[in-house]
Amino acid sequence: MLRALDISTSALIAQRTRLNAVSGNIANISSLKDEHGRANPYQAREVVFQSDDSFSLSGASGVKVQEIRTSDAEPRYRYQPDHPLAVKDGKWKGYVAYPNIDLTTQMVDALETTRAYEANVGVMEITKSMSRETLTIIA
Amino acid sequence: MSPIQGIQPPSRPVSPLEAFGKASATQRTSSGLDQFAEVLSGKLREVNSMQSEAGQMVHSMLTGGDINEAEVLTAVQKADLAFRMLLQVRNKLIEAYREIQQIQI
Repeated sequence: MLRALDISTSALIAQRTRLNAVSGNIANISSLKDEHGRANPYQAREVVFQSDDSFSLSGASGVKVQEIRTSDAEPRYRYQPDHPLAVKDGKWKGYVAYPNIDLTTQMVDALETTRAYEANVGVMEITKSMSRETLTIIA
Repeated sequence: MSPIQGIQPPSRPVSPLEAFGKASATQRTSSGLDQFAEVLSGKLREVNSMQSEAGQMVHSMLTGGDINEAEVLTAVQKADLAFRMLLQVRNKLIEAYREIQQIQI
C-alpha cells in the first residue's frame, strides 16, 4: 500500500521538474543571450518523462525525468537595425534573433502540469484513506 | 516490510504465540513468548526509524536542503501510517491480554 504513495510521489517530483522548465521558458521569453553571454537567443527546454520500474509493485511503475531537451526551433527575427545585437550580414541583416517561445503554449503546459499534480495528490489521498480504512479491520 | 506469507498448517501443535514468533526470520530455541517479543520490538524499531527518517527530512527541508517537499511529506505520511498500524496491533494485543486475564479459574 505504501508503494502506491511512492509512485504518486515520483509523479509529483516529475511534474514539479516540468513546471520548473516551463517557468524557465516563460522567464527567458526575451533573453537574447545565453548563459555564457553570447548573442544566442534562449531555446525552450522540454522535459521528457520516462516510466520507472524501480518501484515494481505488481506491474505498476512510477515516472522519472529521462532528459531535459533543448528545443531546436528557429529563432524569431525582428527588424531592429539599431539594436546592438542585430545581425551584421547575411540574409537576416539588421534583424535581432529572439527566442521562439509561444507564451500560450507554455501557459497551457503550466496548467496541464498543475492539473496532473492535483490528480496525483488526489490519488495519494485515496491511498491514505484506503490504508486508514484497512486498519479498522483489526480494531 | 516483508511480504505476508500464506498461512501454513503447523506440523505439530503449537501455541498461538509460538506460531506468531515463527513469522520472524530468526529461528531461536527460546520460548515462543521471547520470539514474539523479538518480532514486536523489531517492528517497533522499524517504525521508529521511519519516524526519525521523516524527522530528518523535515529538518533538511526547513533548513533549506535540496529536497523535494513532496518526498518529505510522503515520508511523514508513511511513518504515520506505519505507526497507526503498530498502534492497532498493540491495541489488539492488550485487548486479548485483558480477555485472558478475566478468565475465571
